[in-house]
Amino acid sequence: MLGQLFIKECRQTAKSLIFWLTVLILIFVFTSQLGEMEIKTEPKPGQGSYEGYGHQVSDDPEMIMKSVLGQLIEEYCRRNYTTYPIGFYKRVTPNQQEEQRIGEILKETTGIGSRDEADRVREEWYSAFNTMTGDAIETAYSGSLTVEPAVGLTYDHFIELMDELDGILGGGSKYSKQYLGKNAEVPLTYEDASRAYQNLIEKDRLAGGYARMFSDYMGIFLGMLPVFLAVTRGLRDRRTRMQELIYTRKCASVTIIASRYLSMLVMLTLPVLALSVIPLSKCIRYANTAGIAVDMLAFAKYTFGWLLPTIMITVALGMFLTELTDTAAAVLVQGAWWFISIFAGVKNLKGGQYGWSLIPRHNTEMNWQGFHEGFAQLAANRVLYAAAALLLVVLTAYIYSQKRKGRLDIRGKILANRKSKS
Amino acid sequence: MEKYWQIEKANLKYHIPLHIFVCVLMLLCSPLLMGVENLGAQDTAKALEMYAALIGIVLLPPVFLPEQNHDIRDLVYTKYLNGSVVYLVRIAGNIVLLALLLGLYIGMLVHHQCEFPVGRYFCGTLAEMLFLGGLGLFFYGLCDNLVAGYMMPFVYYITAMGGGEKYMKMFYPFSMAKGSYSEKLWLAAGGVLLVGAGVWLRCRRRRLF
Repeated sequence: MLGQLFIKECRQTAKSLIFWLTVLILIFVFTSQLGEMEIKTEPKPGQGSYEGYGHQVSDDPEMIMKSVLGQLIEEYCRRNYTTYPIGFYKRVTPNQQEEQRIGEILKETTGIGSRDEADRVREEWYSAFNTMTGDAIETAYSGSLTVEPAVGLTYDHFIELMDELDGILGGGSKYSKQYLGKNAEVPLTYEDASRAYQNLIEKDRLAGGYARMFSDYMGIFLGMLPVFLAVTRGLRDRRTRMQELIYTRKCASVTIIASRYLSMLVMLTLPVLALSVIPLSKCIRYANTAGIAVDMLAFAKYTFGWLLPTIMITVALGMFLTELTDTAAAVLVQGAWWFISIFAGVKNLKGGQYGWSLIPRHNTEMNWQGFHEGFAQLAANRVLYAAAALLLVVLTAYIYSQKRKGRLDIRGKILANRKSKS
Repeated sequence: MEKYWQIEKANLKYHIPLHIFVCVLMLLCSPLLMGVENLGAQDTAKALEMYAALIGIVLLPPVFLPEQNHDIRDLVYTKYLNGSVVYLVRIAGNIVLLALLLGLYIGMLVHHQCEFPVGRYFCGTLAEMLFLGGLGLFFYGLCDNLVAGYMMPFVYYITAMGGGEKYMKMFYPFSMAKGSYSEKLWLAAGGVLLVGAGVWLRCRRRRLF
């Protein structure tokens, strides 16, 4: 029975306008973001900048102080500060009183006593590039503004002042104790870049890195688009006046809901798998000419391991809320969740810090090291969402069975029929 | 005039309260998501264009929803008053509501010492709301499907966020943050056209069935 219903549901989905709109959007996203994807070549000694091969941070207190103070001057001159108070991007503009205290902190940490002086330091830093040529410019650009700390400033006192500054900004800034150590980005050397490239070739077998980047872009859209399909499917029976007819059939509620759910998962995963063939073929072509081995199953593994849980939870939430309310409320709820996830992910674009985000970010083909270190968290994240999705499907089947028995069956008003009976 | 007011009264009483609640909630949540104090013109434009304008998607597309059931639609279309007039009254009412909510939001920004050209930003954001909502209304009318009405403006918004300036040109929604205002005139004109086309498609449908 499940198999028959599943095939019927797949046919229904294939006739759905929303499904084909979803496919078209995925194709558009793929061509606009990954259509001109080029395979990274091996770094060469003395090529200038190795920025595209990854990033690294220094844990040397002197470097941290220089880098943080450079960023403080940038933001002080701009008169606004980037923070992530509840996990996602926020730009804070302090008032006059707060600005004054920040100025005092800047003076205490750098000796720079006015905004004009800060502007001058910044201009001098950037004007230094105008005198450079060729590779020197590229090398210099790979580092951002750094400023020497004031004479006698200890690291402990520096942390104290930065913590106060973080408090003025409302928390979640790069000056907070938790984030302070991650500020001192240093340019990669040839050896670092070479090691990162070897990881891409040996550990990821080339395709793994590109599969992660593919999952990153596709995940942004798959965190939202499936809900449209789920809501449309949920409302279709009522719209076509088939609801009561289906209710009277012998088939179990779990079977009906499971067949719908599975069909949507399959129909949404298929176009993603089909699109992944294009970057995979690029990897194979490059590997053939370079004489390296490719992980042929990488895109399939990432599609099922990384993207499928996102599709699962998005479809499940859509089905659950639609069955519960008989409205398109799931679009708004999922829209809000998507919005928060995307803005929360802005600070983790380079990968390695996946947290519990619905849409884990890894916007680079490099950084195997970060992926490796964050893998346990990512796996826990994906398992959690897959499990939550299955739970929501069971709840959807329960609500559906209750409706078949004549309960909960008022459009948009749960349990309202109980009132009408009394 | 009385009959138009009756239509709008029914709209406010039965059809739109939940959507107004969602819009108010979205605007009230904005201080959690972004800075709304002491902003300069560019940052204020970002808050308005990238966040406040989203309420256009919530409030405009559901205008056709009360007649989603074909039986009700047929009944409404048998009345003396043309169905398109009912839709246009609701749309006008919802645009006034959007303007009111936006006005209050802008008032809050001014109260929080944000410095920006109030009139220009008000009209620019309203134009974007009209375009986002109009896009939803058009696809709802075209596909007779509310979900399509939510989906297309959402996709338009994500595309714009993901560097869509080169594809959208004069219909790029976040132009005020980049210091350009001419796009807003195109968005306003596009919004009016889309709303008109959406209503026409919806009303034409009754002759198809």
